Amino acid sequence: MRTIFAIFKKELVSYLTTPWAWVVFTGMTFISSAFFVGLLANFKQAHEVARNAQLGWTQLPPEYQAFRNLTDGVVVNLWSSVLILTLFVAPFLSMRLFAEERRNKTFELLMTTPIRPFEIVAGKYLGALGIIGMTLGLTIIFPLILAAFGSSESGSALEWNTVLLGYAGLLLWGATNMAIGMFISSLTESQMVAAFVSFAIALVWMLIRSVATDVDEPVRSILNYLSFDSQLQNLIKGVLDLRPFVFFGSVIAVCLLLTHRSIEAQRWT
Amino acid sequence: MIEVENLTKTYRDRVAIDALNFSVKEGQIVGFLGPNGAGKSTTMKILTGFMPPTSGKARVAGFDLFEKPLEAKRRIGYLPETPPLYPELTVRGYLKFVSELKGVASAKVKSEIDRVAQGTGLMPELDRLTGTLSKGYRQRVGIAQAMLGNPALLILDEPTEGLDPRQRREVLELIKSLKGQHTVVLSTHILAEVKAICEQVLIIHRGKIVADDTMANITGGRETGLEDKFIQLTAE
Repeated sequence: MRTIFAIFKKELVSYLTTPWAWVVFTGMTFISSAFFVGLLANFKQAHEVARNAQLGWTQLPPEYQAFRNLTDGVVVNLWSSVLILTLFVAPFLSMRLFAEERRNKTFELLMTTPIRPFEIVAGKYLGALGIIGMTLGLTIIFPLILAAFGSSESGSALEWNTVLLGYAGLLLWGATNMAIGMFISSLTESQMVAAFVSFAIALVWMLIRSVATDVDEPVRSILNYLSFDSQLQNLIKGVLDLRPFVFFGSVIAVCLLLTHRSIEAQRWT
Repeated sequence: MIEVENLTKTYRDRVAIDALNFSVKEGQIVGFLGPNGAGKSTTMKILTGFMPPTSGKARVAGFDLFEKPLEAKRRIGYLPETPPLYPELTVRGYLKFVSELKGVASAKVKSEIDRVAQGTGLMPELDRLTGTLSKGYRQRVGIAQAMLGNPALLILDEPTEGLDPRQRREVLELIKSLKGQHTVVLSTHILAEVKAICEQVLIIHRGKIVADDTMANITGGRETGLEDKFIQLTAE
């Protein structure tokens, strides 16, 4: 346990003393702020239209309905955007996990100290979770701003249940991306290759759903099941759904096992 | 301390080391010599448990490296060819991290870091980032790291490689000072260094042990004895 914690701590120190994490933090904050401001503008516009319409909200087309309250109009949409952002930033955080150890030749150090490979994998993955948690944690500021300054017809500005379930979905997706990225990172010495391949995998995963609309059953159902956005759509909308936890949990478990195998196997070459 | 039986390692079709047999007694400083590519690093990687052999057995302090790897690794300090440093950590942070990996008791970590830093002359540099250190100091951090937890056996892969003459002498003095407390196996192709500090000499050529003897027997008392023997044994 102590060695896992030591590796976890070291990972966080390494992340926070090198510029990469800060670049990612800045990018994440900047782009998600831009989305947030855009969504607020849409929200305001929808409310103006509603105010000017004779019958109010009932008269407006369905795409405006979501903007009736802050939770559905702003936060749910924001989470969907951050979901895509995560797909872009996670590879830049996960790429160094093992690739850097191999380039620095510190991998030999880890493998010759009296610790088991699974402790290395566990410590590294906890560090990865820590850093993606921090990155995504920056976006929780937006609902807090809304809660402080916003209001709604029903009193409280936000439905926190919906907000937090969506956020849980986001974290789950972040954790999955880091697990995939860690596995890819364990296969190569080059961080750029690791980032690129992890990103390519996530990108293909993102495109699965659009492919699914053009194919016949039963392939369509399978593709739909595998696509991450359909897995996550309930959570993002604030409906408690345990299936994505099982689904992404399995993906994470498989990636951790593969990472373990991969670092064991490297000793043989 | 080390017992090696029929140790063989092949990479695809290339035989790196071929049925090595040797043993090292406790407290010895052993020079592990050979031309480049003779199999020194491969042997050391196997002895530290980093790499499994294709066949054969290796035991450290009585523990088989592949049946009881954790027990064996607890007794080994290893300096690989390149000191395994994290450039973003300070020397102190780095040594603390390695102590934790080696399972040094929390209460002892601080005194253990002081001990190895003192031994390697790193005291004034403890708060510098390892990435900013000169090559000589990196090498010392690598040796300090190997000494953490006071392992019975130190395996040093070319500890003086790339150092200037002064640093070279300092590192050799340091290794010499470890005599008695640790068994040391060091690889190098600089024979003068071996002559200065080693008691036992192992010469490996093309994956085979061609000499395993005490320094006195190998040199036969002559000044150039070791060089002559080395060149004679590693000829084509």
